[in-house]
Amino acid sequence: MSLDIRRSSASVWGSLSGLRTAPTVSKYIDTTTCIGCKACEVACQEWNDLPPVETHQVGTYQTLPTLHPDYWNLIRFNERDFDGGIVWLMRKDQCMHCDEPGCLEACPAPGAIVQYMNGIVDVNPDQCIGCKYCETGCPFDVPRFSKTTGKMAKCTLCVDRVSVGLEPACIKACPTGCLHFGTKEDMLMLANGRVQQLKGNGFAQASVYDPPGVNGTSVITVLAHGDHPEWYDLPGNPHVPWGVKIWKKIIRPLGVIAIFGAIAGAFAHYTKYGPKEARGSSDPDANLPPA
Amino acid sequence: MSTAAPRAPMDSAVVVARNREDVVVGNEIVRHRLFSRLMHWTVALTFLIALLTGLPIWTPVFGWMAHLFGGLTVARLLHPWAGVAFFLASIAQFFEWVSDMRVEPWEKDWVGPRLTRYMRYEEDDPRTGKYNGGQKLYFWAVSLAALGLLLSGLLMWFPTAFPRWLMQLAFIVHDFTFIAFLVALVFHIYLATVAEPGTFGSMIRGTVTRPWARLHHPRWYREVTGEEPRRRP
Repeated sequence: MSLDIRRSSASVWGSLSGLRTAPTVSKYIDTTTCIGCKACEVACQEWNDLPPVETHQVGTYQTLPTLHPDYWNLIRFNERDFDGGIVWLMRKDQCMHCDEPGCLEACPAPGAIVQYMNGIVDVNPDQCIGCKYCETGCPFDVPRFSKTTGKMAKCTLCVDRVSVGLEPACIKACPTGCLHFGTKEDMLMLANGRVQQLKGNGFAQASVYDPPGVNGTSVITVLAHGDHPEWYDLPGNPHVPWGVKIWKKIIRPLGVIAIFGAIAGAFAHYTKYGPKEARGSSDPDANLPPA
Repeated sequence: MSTAAPRAPMDSAVVVARNREDVVVGNEIVRHRLFSRLMHWTVALTFLIALLTGLPIWTPVFGWMAHLFGGLTVARLLHPWAGVAFFLASIAQFFEWVSDMRVEPWEKDWVGPRLTRYMRYEEDDPRTGKYNGGQKLYFWAVSLAALGLLLSGLLMWFPTAFPRWLMQLAFIVHDFTFIAFLVALVFHIYLATVAEPGTFGSMIRGTVTRPWARLHHPRWYREVTGEEPRRRP
């Protein structure tokens, strides 16, 4: 991969050289024009050479109840009762490629999860130790542990295609144009235009889902009912979990200082006080306090 | 140790005595019977493995430790099992020692002024029995810590089987507990080796010298030897 790395898991320090820059890329998903054909699911399986996964009947047209280590792209079919009848709220679920990725923050293995210059968040299987901490750190419940490989797996945003100038496989397959790919700036423009259109069509609550809690995502979603992201199985205010932040930002530096401090303290004590000798048996009262 | 009489060929009576505790053998006193010592070293070894496999997962500052085991993946694989072994050994050790670990009312100020006096070598209370207040507090602290490490560690072993908020809590409990444990352990090792000569032998051969017992544990010395300590004229 010729892409520069913006952020890497479990790195102590480091910053970009700044010599090469790349614009942040983004997927654009318009849930209002998705017809639930699952072409994106098939394209994802094909491009990434993922094995077939046994489907589960969950009472809707949804392929699986949730994402799977061998199934990284899932159309969620949610039904809601409205005055006029039932409405299908279909949403393409996959890694959201957060600007502040909870998975990367939670990952203890150096370089196992990286964020490339263009915003793509990717798992490096050769560095992954299979601890599943990323699964607990992800506010979108995306990474999955594969019992076959012992590693984590998730959508790569087709980094292997994007880095050579192609669009992700799912985008390529979409027949309705509800999926687009480009710079984040362009995709936001497209999304905001679509939201204006929807508002004009009577969806006053329409909005772009680009959650500020994780400083935005590289998958932006147009929702007709933007005031209710939970109707689409999206969290209202996703953020990096507090436990991970406290661990990495507070406990870890203070703990390292405490450990080395204790060792230094023991040395300092010995230097000042020396050993507490029990004197020899020739004088049995040697250690007794004076009467 | 150097004050002991030249070592004679092992007498079977001495061998038997070394398997008991709190008995005088020649010029020495048996402080820890064989089972105690084996338990202590089982706890120490399993903790060491858990420590060396856990620290590199905790921070890359200690990442080099993972290479002792063949990499971070192996460390990740070994750590929970070493932790379980450590906990089981800790249980055995707990019941081996708990009867001697009742903190007496006058020992309560070990949390504070008495600990400071002890570290300045100014503490010489004749009431000090087989274990001093600091050792008793250390015993209770590490026993509690072993339980805390096990419970939080089990959550972290199967992170997807529990609610997210509980997992976040487990990370923090595991971190705080092992850091406190480790700081206490540094002083435990320091005091038991270079700071107080003669102590380490009690965990190897099981015995301490009479002067050592009189200095560090005067009441225990009286109980074991039956000698009333004489005051200096």
